[in-house]
Amino acid sequence: MVVTAPVLGVRLTVSKYDHGIRAASRLRAGSYSRRRFLGAAGALLGGALIGGCGAEEAGKSPPTDAEVLEGLLRRERAAGAAVIGVSGSELIARQDALHARRLASLAGADVGRGSTEAVELPEALVRKQQAVFAYVEAVPRLADPDLRVFVMQLAASEAEHLAALRLAAGQEPVPDAFAGFTERSVP
Amino acid sequence: MSSIAAQVAERFAAARTDAGLLKAGLYVEEVAALAYDAAADGPLTGEDRAQALRFAGHEREHADVFETMLFALTVPVREHATEADLQELIPGLRRARREEALAQLAELEGAAIAGYQQLGRRLRALDALRSVATVMAGGAQHLVVLRSALRDEPVTRPFESGR
Repeated sequence: MVVTAPVLGVRLTVSKYDHGIRAASRLRAGSYSRRRFLGAAGALLGGALIGGCGAEEAGKSPPTDAEVLEGLLRRERAAGAAVIGVSGSELIARQDALHARRLASLAGADVGRGSTEAVELPEALVRKQQAVFAYVEAVPRLADPDLRVFVMQLAASEAEHLAALRLAAGQEPVPDAFAGFTERSVP
Repeated sequence: MSSIAAQVAERFAAARTDAGLLKAGLYVEEVAALAYDAAADGPLTGEDRAQALRFAGHEREHADVFETMLFALTVPVREHATEADLQELIPGLRRARREEALAQLAELEGAAIAGYQQLGRRLRALDALRSVATVMAGGAQHLVVLRSALRDEPVTRPFESGR
């Protein structure tokens, strides 16, 4: 199964600052390509910040931290489905329940019900990958430094879940250097 | 706090600017690449060795990202980690036993994760945190493989802090 949407989401972020990226790519020619590492967008966004290209320019008020966390809670619920036929997935489901409870508590939201239907491994990997994308994307959108650290901890945990599920299924556990932010690794 | 984690934490703690924090990240990734190579040359064999060589490549890719971020901040990178840095951080890695080497690599990965979460708290160029987080997530996946090789259960943590 090929998932394109999250990758395209990152691509859009890249293209927004395409000029800076092209400049950097020229200067770093031969090291690694933009196609291989889409996460480099963030690095260049750092440069864009210096140039004054911020979210405020879009004329939208940024979401509150609680709103960002509520969005993550919805993603976490989807990623928390049990996985059919993979040993160790019960532990992962319990850890996902902890994620959801803490997110709900911090967002001041109802934890709600997670995904009750168990899913096959390929679907579980897709959902986990989307959770990693969502957590990474959310980190700089949070104003509270403690919440940024918390969401980074969740991003790391979800990335671990991906590797652990692959490992248990006899697959290469870490197919790329950036937890799925490399095109070739997207399940 | 043991020696590897303490030394890495000190590097991040000593940084006072975005460039300093990113240089600490670059140092950790470069040393990690050297460490995986050294472990592959010494105590690790078979599948462990093959995995270490793959992870060394990942660490070099991570280091490239930090160098690119520093470039975005118009900070030139004149120094790179060397074998001497590896010796200072993890002395005797090449002569270690398998389990010892794997545990040291796991400690280094954990220390890097903890350091990157410090960046989450302290970095001013917030958008650069996305790249930092992708590197951190890659390190967390390495940690799963190392814990599994060490039979250190559970291999995943609900709130991974690297500690």
